[in-house]
Amino acid sequence: MRNKSNLLFIILIAAVALLINLRCRQPYISPAGSSATSYLVVNGTIDTWGDTCVINLSRTVKLTDSVNSIPELNAVVSVQGNDGTSYALTETGRGNYAYPDFSFLTSSAKQYRLNIVTSGGKTYQSDFVPVKNSPPIDSVYYTVNPTGIQLFSNTHDGTNNSRYYRWDYDETWVVRSYYDSYWELKTIPDVTVVQRSKPDQIDSCWISGKSSTIILNSSAKLSKDIITDNPVGIVGSTSEKLTSAYSILLHQYALTEDAFNYWQNLKKNTEQLGSIFDAQPSQIVGNIHCITNPSELVIGYISAGADSRKRLFVYKNALPYWQPQTPFVGCGLDTVLLADLHRLSAGAIPVSAVANGQGVVIGYDFATSRICVDCTLRGTNQQPSYWISK
Amino acid sequence: MKKLYSSIFFLLIVLTTVVAQEKAGNKISVSFQQATIDQLVNELEARTGYRFYYDPVQFDSLRVKLNVTDKPVAAILDLAFANTAFHYAIVQQQVFLTKSRILKPGLVAGFFGGTTSGVAKPADVVTSYIDEAGEKVPEATTENKLYEIGIKTNEIKQGKATIAGYLRDIKSGEPVIAATIYDPIAKTGASTDQFGYYSITLPRGRRTLTIKGLGMRDTWRKITLYSDGKLNIELQEQVTSLKEVKISADKIANVRGVELGVSRLDAKSIKQVPTVFGEADVLRVVLTLPGVQTVGEASTGFNVRGGAADQNLILLNDATIYNPSHFFGFFSAFNPDIVKEIELYKSSIPEKYGGRLSSVLEVTDREGNKKKFTGTAGIGLLTSRLNIEGPIVKDKTSFIFGGRTTYSDWLLKLLPQEYKNSSASFYDFNLDISHHIDDRNDIYLTTYLSQDHFKLNSDTTYGYSNKNANIKWKHNFNNRLFSVLTTGIDRYNYDISSSAIPIDAYKLSFDVKQTTLKADFTYYLNKDNILDFGLSSIYYNLDPGDFEPNGKASLVVPDAVPAERALESALYVGDKYDITSNLSISAGIRYSLYNYLGPQTVYNYAPNLPKTGVNILDSTTYKKGQVVNTYHGPEIRVSARYYLADDLSIKGGYNTLRQYLHLLSNSTAISPTDVYKLSDPNIKPQYGDQLSLGLYKNFKENTIETSVEVYYKRIKDYLDYKSGATLLLNDHIEQDVINTRGKAYGIEFLIKKTTGKLNGWLSYTYSRTFLRQDDPNAGETINGGNFYPANYDKPNDVNFTGNYRFSHRFSISLDVTYSTGRPITLPIAKYESAGSERVLYSERNVYRIPDYFRSDFSMNIEGNHKVHQLTHNSWSIGVYNLTGRANAYSTFFTEQGGAINGYKLSIFAKPIPFVNYNIRF
Repeated sequence: MRNKSNLLFIILIAAVALLINLRCRQPYISPAGSSATSYLVVNGTIDTWGDTCVINLSRTVKLTDSVNSIPELNAVVSVQGNDGTSYALTETGRGNYAYPDFSFLTSSAKQYRLNIVTSGGKTYQSDFVPVKNSPPIDSVYYTVNPTGIQLFSNTHDGTNNSRYYRWDYDETWVVRSYYDSYWELKTIPDVTVVQRSKPDQIDSCWISGKSSTIILNSSAKLSKDIITDNPVGIVGSTSEKLTSAYSILLHQYALTEDAFNYWQNLKKNTEQLGSIFDAQPSQIVGNIHCITNPSELVIGYISAGADSRKRLFVYKNALPYWQPQTPFVGCGLDTVLLADLHRLSAGAIPVSAVANGQGVVIGYDFATSRICVDCTLRGTNQQPSYWISK
Repeated sequence: MKKLYSSIFFLLIVLTTVVAQEKAGNKISVSFQQATIDQLVNELEARTGYRFYYDPVQFDSLRVKLNVTDKPVAAILDLAFANTAFHYAIVQQQVFLTKSRILKPGLVAGFFGGTTSGVAKPADVVTSYIDEAGEKVPEATTENKLYEIGIKTNEIKQGKATIAGYLRDIKSGEPVIAATIYDPIAKTGASTDQFGYYSITLPRGRRTLTIKGLGMRDTWRKITLYSDGKLNIELQEQVTSLKEVKISADKIANVRGVELGVSRLDAKSIKQVPTVFGEADVLRVVLTLPGVQTVGEASTGFNVRGGAADQNLILLNDATIYNPSHFFGFFSAFNPDIVKEIELYKSSIPEKYGGRLSSVLEVTDREGNKKKFTGTAGIGLLTSRLNIEGPIVKDKTSFIFGGRTTYSDWLLKLLPQEYKNSSASFYDFNLDISHHIDDRNDIYLTTYLSQDHFKLNSDTTYGYSNKNANIKWKHNFNNRLFSVLTTGIDRYNYDISSSAIPIDAYKLSFDVKQTTLKADFTYYLNKDNILDFGLSSIYYNLDPGDFEPNGKASLVVPDAVPAERALESALYVGDKYDITSNLSISAGIRYSLYNYLGPQTVYNYAPNLPKTGVNILDSTTYKKGQVVNTYHGPEIRVSARYYLADDLSIKGGYNTLRQYLHLLSNSTAISPTDVYKLSDPNIKPQYGDQLSLGLYKNFKENTIETSVEVYYKRIKDYLDYKSGATLLLNDHIEQDVINTRGKAYGIEFLIKKTTGKLNGWLSYTYSRTFLRQDDPNAGETINGGNFYPANYDKPNDVNFTGNYRFSHRFSISLDVTYSTGRPITLPIAKYESAGSERVLYSERNVYRIPDYFRSDFSMNIEGNHKVHQLTHNSWSIGVYNLTGRANAYSTFFTEQGGAINGYKLSIFAKPIPFVNYNIRF
């Protein structure tokens, strides 16, 4: 019922037997889009999995601004235990503050909080939170639909203690260039075309992304702590992600009930509004407070604990034949004779050699647009260490 | 000539009297042992020559034992009838024997006009015959006949007498409700109650009563009032006349009535307002009244004078309707073909009603035709309806049946593949039976059943149902006192089920039941006072959520929020007192008592701390039937009217109300996922009071009514929600709600033209509604504890509803609505979180959606008006939202692929044509 409940639309269309859309959705410019106040936003988890823990600080911006957020720089950030311990995070740029490894924070008896002192001199603190580790992900899998693939995950907790879950993921996929290039244009010392070496290949690249929706589920109403067929995401059949190989690394977090409610509320307010029966939006309060000015709103919720991770690969040959939508519009080739090579700019990439009747190379074909031949414009040509080719 | 006639008559009587006196006086001796009346009479006739007249049947119980010597007949009869109900009268040689009644032979004093000598003593008629069972109450049907009421005497006594009776429709025998009976010379009036019953006290003598009823032809009756008596009046239905301008008004009730803020509409006005699918809609019309605002377009929820949608008591023939809508609110729950009229109380809420803060909406069904079988049928694009009515026993018992259903599923099937799993349907049935036992007793049985089902493209199925039944027994003790005893059961339940993922498959059900018993009395104390008193009791039984696995594979843990029970009782008394001919007051008090009953386990929270899970001290368990806690208090209902002129009056009123049942809803409309909650130790009842003042003036022979009303209202302990509150399956709901205080004020203008070719009304309302939550112990305050506008705060509201009749067969209607957009909470900033750009919302309700404007048009075409034909047909054709304005239902902001876009959602954003076909038979 919640999403796209187009029933009204349906009934009415039928009722008047006219193909007019009676329930219509039109763009709306908020008269309130230019609030002057900028609030502190805290993203991240005190993650004790064992790799670098990153907390990101930023500021809200006006709705009409072209950027999504402004990083909060030069703050002093630390994680404090309720036993008096304190661990300072180091600023790594772009509003990120990092600590190399929190895997030693394992005690279930202790609680931790985040402490922030901004360059403006204000102090912010989260509530103390327990360290809640996620049970392992049992499986990540997908099903094939006419419209694409649907990704799912399963998990369970034999101790029945986790109950509330959140997921996010890192995804990586391979894209292919429109033309494979076997040559490279060198301008130093002379303008020459040489054979492209293997590590420099630019016809196959890996693009990475992150989940952009809040994924939540709970087994609180079940007699056992089991989550099955939890929908993680959808990849459309026309997505370029499915042209060759696609991989997802799913992170699973176990939450406290309070944290779960925060995330659910945030999801409701920013992802689920729009149908007729939906709830009214509300201002969301997390567990971070401004100590200097208690009435100041702070956005974010700090949890602590180790996530669990699992990777899944989806290969093209296991999928139906789908035509992906690519950015390769109007790709073509222009032949440049050897004598004219010096006129080319440094970034030009030869695709193939052009020979005369005697097999002598007289020039090279160049792609009309660089994106047709160079996938490094969009990703990396270095195969990630975790990548398994098929 | 007349004098000569009486002179001759006089002479004859004088002569016969003289003759008789000569023969009287014989004395006889008789002896009887267990003699029957026949034996007695035979003996006396044989011995005296007297002639006896009597009805042997009346005397069959009489046995005479008598032994007398030399006594006159009169003395013998005195002995024979001593200590019995029998009487005799001797006129010359004739003896009349009677039972119970005493005959007084002879001419009454004053018979000879002014020439009587001595003390003219009026004949004292001591016995009243009118209350005798079986006595035929006169049916006054004609205007120029003189009806005699009471015991006829030659000289009419001074003082006053009371007449009472029913006003009925001459064609169908249905009662005429809220009609006025008025004596313009005595300046005394009365109006009929919901059964068409009236009682009026007037000076004795010749009187002319003018009678005005909604939808009925104005008429009058001439009476001679001798003493207390009964008069049933039959009225003709009003046939709209086009040529002639009506001289008298339909109603002057708005000026004359003591109450303020009352609107009454009959079926005809309801039917001429265009609606979206062409089917007349009771609630849609209520929304055009001043002070009433819609919750939203696809919804029949309404807000009255700044009250929430659940603060309206909606009664269908005295049964409480919890969900008054069908099909996402596109249709209201009331079948327009059998609704007789509606009455909305916004300010002066009669003492007999209670339990809701804002208003009472009374929907009354017609009584079935007591004389012949009739019916109607209507066909629309989405719904069809049928109603049949007629006598079961002619003039005594009748029934009326109404049914509606949808057939929209076939339409859904025509739609593209992706919608094929959607379905929606509803039906409802009304069956009412009324039985006239005798002139003192009537019984009414009314029932209602509705059912809705829908499934929206998903695997989740929703269903809800209203079920109501009640019996009313109306008993007249006498002309001045009557009572109505009502008992009934009202039930509302819904269920939601899902089966998409087998281990998560569930079924959730919710149920509210109430059993009502009430006794209402009306006592016409005297000409100036009408007393209303009574008592009522409602037993609530709530099953606030039962969550169960659906199918064997389901791992869902059955979860049930414990049932809740409570008893709400009230005792009330009110008096409508005409202090002078210009000043009337209506003052009443209602004392309500609420008991929350066990079995129940109630959490005890630490005092002065927010009610949250961590602040629970312990819990107390109560046994079945044990009183958990009690709330009680008086409710005051006062209003007064003062005539400034014949067609101008000023009124004022104050009332207080208490509400023990709360509706918890995350959406603004009443939807089938809402939760009802009874007040308990942790959730206080809502309390409200209202002060209002009004000025009423009629123009042009009362054909144009105007009024201005102002009000100020306070609300205490209205529930609002904490951010992210969970309402379903929450057995500690007090942790998710906050108590708010509210205030509302406004001014309402109305101009209404009730008759003529052009009729309709125009209303303008300026009103504000604010809520405030500033209790630091609630855990969170809203907007820093300041007043914030309620969701339904719409300051400016204009409504025009007009109808123009070109001929008897063709009329057009136009409906225009404008209101300020309702308040919303808007995004004020954006930020990056969880991989997406997200929005930050403002404080609650500080912005507004764009203003609302809509106009609707319809044409009503009737078939020919020949009386003798099998069926009468009519068409209604029209366009909803004529200008096609895309009114914002809501605005929302949603994240799509990392970007935030604002959208305005509109329903019915294009003109929507409709057609409806109706048959009457």
